[in-house]
Amino acid sequence: MAAKPQIGPSLGTASPRPRRRRSYMASRSRVGYLLVLPAVAALAAIAIYPLIYNIVLSSRFDVLTEPGTGHFTGLANYRQMLTDPNFWGDLGRTGIFMVISVTLEFAAGLILALIVHREFKARGLVRASILIPWAIPTAVSALLWKMFFDIRSGFVDFALKALHLPGANLVWFNSPVLAWVPIILSDMWKNTPFIALLLLAGLQTIPQEIYESARIDGATGWQAFWSITLPLLRPAVMVALIFRTLSAMLVFDTIFVMTGGGPGQSTEVVAYYDWYKYMVSLNFGFGAAVAVAITVLALILATVYVRLLRQRGGFMT
Amino acid sequence: MRQRMGRTGFNALVAIIILYSLFPFYWVFKSSVESSIALNRQTSSLWPTNWTFVHYEAIFAVENFLRPLLNSMFVAGMATLISVVLGSMAAYGLSRMPIKGKVPILGFILLVSFFPQIAMVGPLFLVFRHLHWLNTYQSLIFPYLILSLPITTWILTAFFSQIPADIEEAAMMDGATITQTITRVFAPIAMPGIFTAAILGFLLSWNDFLFALSFIQTPNMDTVPLALVNFRNAYYVHYGQIYAGVVIASLPIALIVLFLQKRIESGLTAGSVKG
Amino acid sequence: MPRQVRRRSLALLSGAGLLLTIAGCGSAPAASGPHNVTIVFASQGLGTEAQATQAAVNSFEKLHPHIHVQIETLSASSNDAYQTLITDLTSGSGTPDVITADVIWPATFAAAKWILPLNQFHPDTSRFYQGMVKSGEYQGKLYAMPWFINVEGLYYRTDLVKTPPATFAQLTSDAKSAMKNNSKLTGLAFEGNKYEGAVTVFQDISGGFGGEFLNAQGKPVLNSPQNIKALTWLNNAIKTGISPAAVTGWEEGNVQQAFLSGDAVFATNWPYLYPLAEASGSAVKGKVAFVPTPVDGGQATASLGGDDLVINKNTKYPKQSWELVQYLTSAKTMTARALISGDPPARTDAYTPALLQKAPWFKQEEAVYADATPRPVTPLYPQISAQIQEALSATYSGQLTPTKALDQAQKAVEAIVSGHGS
Repeated sequence: MAAKPQIGPSLGTASPRPRRRRSYMASRSRVGYLLVLPAVAALAAIAIYPLIYNIVLSSRFDVLTEPGTGHFTGLANYRQMLTDPNFWGDLGRTGIFMVISVTLEFAAGLILALIVHREFKARGLVRASILIPWAIPTAVSALLWKMFFDIRSGFVDFALKALHLPGANLVWFNSPVLAWVPIILSDMWKNTPFIALLLLAGLQTIPQEIYESARIDGATGWQAFWSITLPLLRPAVMVALIFRTLSAMLVFDTIFVMTGGGPGQSTEVVAYYDWYKYMVSLNFGFGAAVAVAITVLALILATVYVRLLRQRGGFMT
Repeated sequence: MRQRMGRTGFNALVAIIILYSLFPFYWVFKSSVESSIALNRQTSSLWPTNWTFVHYEAIFAVENFLRPLLNSMFVAGMATLISVVLGSMAAYGLSRMPIKGKVPILGFILLVSFFPQIAMVGPLFLVFRHLHWLNTYQSLIFPYLILSLPITTWILTAFFSQIPADIEEAAMMDGATITQTITRVFAPIAMPGIFTAAILGFLLSWNDFLFALSFIQTPNMDTVPLALVNFRNAYYVHYGQIYAGVVIASLPIALIVLFLQKRIESGLTAGSVKG
Repeated sequence: MPRQVRRRSLALLSGAGLLLTIAGCGSAPAASGPHNVTIVFASQGLGTEAQATQAAVNSFEKLHPHIHVQIETLSASSNDAYQTLITDLTSGSGTPDVITADVIWPATFAAAKWILPLNQFHPDTSRFYQGMVKSGEYQGKLYAMPWFINVEGLYYRTDLVKTPPATFAQLTSDAKSAMKNNSKLTGLAFEGNKYEGAVTVFQDISGGFGGEFLNAQGKPVLNSPQNIKALTWLNNAIKTGISPAAVTGWEEGNVQQAFLSGDAVFATNWPYLYPLAEASGSAVKGKVAFVPTPVDGGQATASLGGDDLVINKNTKYPKQSWELVQYLTSAKTMTARALISGDPPARTDAYTPALLQKAPWFKQEEAVYADATPRPVTPLYPQISAQIQEALSATYSGQLTPTKALDQAQKAVEAIVSGHGS
């Protein structure tokens, strides 16, 4: 351990400055790479390795309950996936869910952000109360909303009956359309706060002076919103939208807990389809093909996101 | 007049938001103290009809709910610890050291956090099976890094970049070694950022359901969300216990949020929106 | 730093050493004389069931002092237990040696060559319920010994319905007339959620109409006229209000609740409900009977559940494992188990007078066991069941007519059976 001072230049020596500086920089950059390496390696092991494994698996017939029969099948799994009407059905439902949930969550999140951006008495309470649902695990929130819509002990049924509204005695989870209501409400409950926070952060970067000069020019509140707030908020909006679109595309916990894809197949989504192929059919080759398809779709969205961030000059510059 | 209407509308909106966010919690709590008989009847009141704590007793005495609570804490805690250590190292390197390829590295970390969890389930299952890791803590701790490490690294990189480098340079000029500079000068300033990153990493790991569902099959190893979903077994659906379990599972989260609200908010936005 | 590394590798080494010791113990040569072996017994069950298993194992160990049995408790959730076993068995592990298997699993395990054919031990199955024995047979060989039986039958209220309905039409009219007298009553409580339990109910009804899932040649016959009739009947029960729409989300627990609270005239459920109904304080005590489902062109059918015992193909101790299986499936052990846990024995000679005196409902249950019908014995059963679940759920929710739903399921199952679907 006594040898330590010899490694790298010590700051006190009087060696010629430029050379020292260069080797000092080189050693610092070496240390820098060493510092970054473990995190990058860990992420690569957990994400990139499975991705490669999936690509290999997807070209094979590998069913866990038929050991010893594994073999190369080329594109057969992909062919089967692309000709399976259930795959397309699930993909379509996933798309519809993405559009509806993201639209609603974005609209609600924007309103929420605008509200919390104002100064008012209950502001702290609102901020805390929306953050709690965000922190609850998705599966728990799905369970909670499932019970909320339970026909006996649930609140929804009770309220509809008490107010003599239509829809009392309705079995929400037995309707191919209405089963989506609790699913989307639960998803909104959990995810709107996140959008609101992103938008709020965006709102706070808009300088007040712009609004003041607009007011002097005679702009109404709405005009200011359309011509100042929204354009300046655009980057935050894009980030929030893509973030949410992506996680909506991968929705699984909520569906698994609330409906298991039912009634029939009417709430089945593509992540559930993949999970089923892997863990119920134990058909790992086929599951891998679906996983590759999902990964490609997700990465396309993610690339767009990273591009946007870079263009905007976020912390990465 | 118009302004007053505006204010009423605003207040109504605020009330709706608070109700939508918090009322489901009240309902779960109310149901958790109802008897099983009352739960199986048509609900007749906004208040508990006859208070009972049998469901709380049952989830601890019969279902051993303490075990999943400890499991979740341990697994999420370990994943957070590893994430914070690796994330701090990486963030220090990215924000302080003259390395090339900063943007691609950060881009990679960001991209990885978008990797579909579902696509990792199959390969990881096969790998863990091979290693005899299924039903172990490590089968969750390692995959959870994918949930917590990217956000920890972002937050810390953003945070470290804001700490002026002069402070460390001054310390080094005074003859401190790199290690001394980091532990004595840098770390105390960086602590709040590290703490913020840790909370978020913890919450994101705590949130997981899919990995636990796929890699854990023995009840002893269940995490909280998995245990709650498994309260229904072959013949019974224990509504009261599910309600009580949801309350128990939500309480610590709610407390964390109430006490650390500011940090969570800043952490959540640090990575994606500069601010 | 170096010290830490060394310590860690030491820990690794000692870990490996421990493994070696264990392996060494396990593979101790069978060279001479009796030696101690440990067999691992994977078993489901909590509470009294676990107690019964432990008691049986204790007395087995007393009889065989050189065999130690280690019980490994599987998850109470059937899916989780299945996953655990798949994991153990596909890895080629020698343990667990003896496994409790739900009746729908042995075919999968046998096809995958994970479990031992038992014919080499010359088992005597003549005293067992034959439906149960069939569930353990695959391609002409016996792979599983029945342990305890479970059948889904029809409960009814003897105070509201005088004689058990002989036909489905009669069941409907009995339910209707009881409901007319008391508008609060549910005519038929059944499991309609999208899960395995819906399939067993449908199997009961389908059998009564003469339907099957797979025919004797193993070909899917899901959209047979009999099955369509059966599904139409179940669906009409919901449509006409004999069953509340809520049954579409019900599992056994909900049906149990409806029946025990005295709200249901008929209910489909398993024998476990009987002792609960006869318990003191039950609202339906003394007013309950358990029968096979009615018949309408088919035969009385009771969907078979229950557990078999199987032996891991890679076990190091096939002989000792068989000793344990034989002991656990002996009449005496089964009677003892029934007394502790209420699990109905899978063999007829275990129903001793002493048992029947203590648990009189077994007498009625026995009549239903005779009609026990296994679900298709095929390694593809999980996928087939998933298709049936979807067909039932799509029908109950009004998305498809029974005919359409079963046509779709038929197509999907044909693809699965021919190896083109999953």
